[in-house]
Amino acid sequence: MTGFTIGRRETLLAGLAIAALPRLAHANDDLLYGPADPQARRGGRVTVGSLVEPPALDPFRQAADARIRVSVLMYQGLFFEDQSGVARPLLARGAEVSSDGLAWTFPLREGVKFHTGATMTSADVKYSYDFLRDPRNGSPGAGDLSSVAAIEAPNPSTVVFRLSRPNAALPMTLTNKYGAVVPSGFFNDPNSGTRMNEVSVGTGPFRLRSFRPNSAIVMERFADYWQSGQPYLDEITFAVMPNSAAMAVALQARRIDLAVFSRPQDTQPLERVAGLEVKRWPSLGQRSLDLDCNYGPLKDARVRRAIALSIDKKTVMDASIAGYGTVIGTMVAGMQETWGVPLDRLPNQRVDLDRARRLLAEAGYPDGFEIDLTTIIGYDWMDPAALTIAEQLRRVGIRANIRRVELGVWIRNFRAREMGFTFNDWGTTPDPSLLFYRHFRAAPQGADFRNWNNEKASALLDRGQEVSDPAERKRIYTEFQMLLAEEVPTIMLFSADLLTVNTTRLRNYRQHGTGWYFGLAKAWAAS
Amino acid sequence: MAVMLARRLGSAAAAAFLSALAVFLLMRAVPGDIVGQMLGQSGTDRSAEAALRAFFGLDRPMHAQFLDWLGRTLTGDLGRSWYQGRAVTAMIAEAFGVTLQLALFTLAVSTLIGVPLGMLAGIREGTRLDTAIQTFNLLGLSAPVFWVGLMLLVGASAFLGWSPPFIYRDFADDPGENLAIMLLPVISLAILQAAAYSQFVRGLMVTELRREHIRTAIAKGLTPREIYFKHALRNVLIPLTTFMGLILVQILGGVVVIESLFSLPGLGRLILSGLQGRDYPVVQGALLFVVLIAIGINLLVDLLYAVIDPRLRP
Repeated sequence: MTGFTIGRRETLLAGLAIAALPRLAHANDDLLYGPADPQARRGGRVTVGSLVEPPALDPFRQAADARIRVSVLMYQGLFFEDQSGVARPLLARGAEVSSDGLAWTFPLREGVKFHTGATMTSADVKYSYDFLRDPRNGSPGAGDLSSVAAIEAPNPSTVVFRLSRPNAALPMTLTNKYGAVVPSGFFNDPNSGTRMNEVSVGTGPFRLRSFRPNSAIVMERFADYWQSGQPYLDEITFAVMPNSAAMAVALQARRIDLAVFSRPQDTQPLERVAGLEVKRWPSLGQRSLDLDCNYGPLKDARVRRAIALSIDKKTVMDASIAGYGTVIGTMVAGMQETWGVPLDRLPNQRVDLDRARRLLAEAGYPDGFEIDLTTIIGYDWMDPAALTIAEQLRRVGIRANIRRVELGVWIRNFRAREMGFTFNDWGTTPDPSLLFYRHFRAAPQGADFRNWNNEKASALLDRGQEVSDPAERKRIYTEFQMLLAEEVPTIMLFSADLLTVNTTRLRNYRQHGTGWYFGLAKAWAAS
Repeated sequence: MAVMLARRLGSAAAAAFLSALAVFLLMRAVPGDIVGQMLGQSGTDRSAEAALRAFFGLDRPMHAQFLDWLGRTLTGDLGRSWYQGRAVTAMIAEAFGVTLQLALFTLAVSTLIGVPLGMLAGIREGTRLDTAIQTFNLLGLSAPVFWVGLMLLVGASAFLGWSPPFIYRDFADDPGENLAIMLLPVISLAILQAAAYSQFVRGLMVTELRREHIRTAIAKGLTPREIYFKHALRNVLIPLTTFMGLILVQILGGVVVIESLFSLPGLGRLILSGLQGRDYPVVQGALLFVVLIAIGINLLVDLLYAVIDPRLRP
């Protein structure tokens, strides 16, 4: 352990620096996981229906969104990714950054217990994040921490992250998507990852009672949770549901108390059922069309622009999710207000078939061309969207052959940067660097899945990560979005609203824009 | 008998080996592996990918992986699930318990409905009753199982205000809840199988009732009960036994859909989720188990032949 202390002068500078930090709040425990409800009462069990099930519960090594949805209730990072874009201190009490932006000091919350009964110290925090960032441990979150050069634990209640380059998004990176704080030494057991399917070792408000694959996950209230009086519920059962119809039936029969629907139109029959509440929430997810810039005609930016100019996003959204969402340009709906560029300022957003035809002719395709359009089996919205887009592209002579592939095959192609022309469905934590960097920064720093390899974009993304000043960050990401819309390596179509249906006995549940179940930490059950 | 048994066991072993090889190769022929699934769109570090591939032994030559798996399988060790960490044999045993209950309930219900219906239709050949039963058979055979299941699920909710529980409980833990969970899946599967039974038994009965020994029995003045049950049904039993074996294998195959439709954690869903996650040990183990079950049932049927019909004994 390196003995690191912060001098008075450095602390003062840090205090000044933090004032300039964009989206970081000091601890306000009442706002964690959503607002508290003064009428809330303790006790009760609820059942949540879910169409997807995590393959495993290891927050360090499982990228599946289905895992993150539930594991956030058992495992915690240093910060909480507030929907508003603020990184709220969770296991940290705050943050201080050195004037050069290369040393972040996080005082830790005291008296935090693990589900194992042990008390959390800075050694556990250092151990956990060191494990997460080491690529040899195979975590999908390792790349997000590539700017971290060393982690130090100068005393039991302080950790210091030393960076090789400034990273304004560090607090948002230390949230709850990948990794968590677990007891030091936990991973010494080679079967530690799979052990997490039997016991939870986090600090979250709920701990694992049982996980029966293809059936249910049961969590119980963690009695020693550090936030006094929380959570309210005694037990949560996540039941794996076979399909939307069964989920609707189960809600009507009160066999489940809450369900998030992936196809918003499936909630329509439930809107007038007494005792059920249907609610819409803005999403941090996006439904998009990705264009591999190394693939056939898509190599030419004029062709990509022509495609963008041929697509009427509103019609696509209406066809695939019955209009329950927001058409987007280059930013997910949940972050549009804070970070997005208004759609009327972005290029290539409005349908212009004449210009599209001209661009195709200039690119050497006056009669259009034939191209495979990939959809993923199981993603219901993609099939109607594909039919609609194929029809729209036909107007400029592009003949799209719809090709359905299984998710595993799609992931393989995507990771190999051989995606072709495909639909995508992905989300983000609420920070533009976390949204864009991995996907669009040229290799090796980024993955550049779409083979865009754009130097200017990469420079902007590097700069956006380094700069702390909110106004400057906004300017950088505005410029980046203009470039994204002009070059079209992706066409963000729309953000589908998250639709929840709950029984009226479940109170104060707020759906987080990521689709994860943070809200259950503040929900309660009426008798 | 011993020679026949040895010969049958020999061919069963050869079939099992070829199936094991096919299952192993097929899994690896499917693009994508567990490493891609674990890293998703996030993990982009090549060294992370390599580390995970080495952890799962996927960096070793294919033949070494196969021989290793085969060697352990021969000792009864099917390995551990890459996601769950649990022994695959234990996972199969747990899941098969659910599937077997579903299959046996379905077999019992479809036999109890299908055989009498088929006999009745055969005896009353050409009557309205026969037409009605044949119509049922046609509908039962034509309706897809998943559609029947879905209609039963939605219908029970809309007309009876009832829905089955969706969290599986073992019979030993909660018999009432277990039976409630099993009700609709069993009906969904049993409709199809009862129709198949009925159609098959009807054909057999019609043929049997036209044979000379039945005519002789009628001429002797035997009661219809004696004619149908003592003389006709007995001869129908041999092909019916074969058919029951086939039906059982068919049910075991059909449960994949119905288990998914009703959230039953049986063998079908185990294989399906294993396939989706590229959990090779689980899929290889479970598929091999299913193949062995099918081989076992066929072997049993062959042996039962010999028991029922002494002429087949060597």
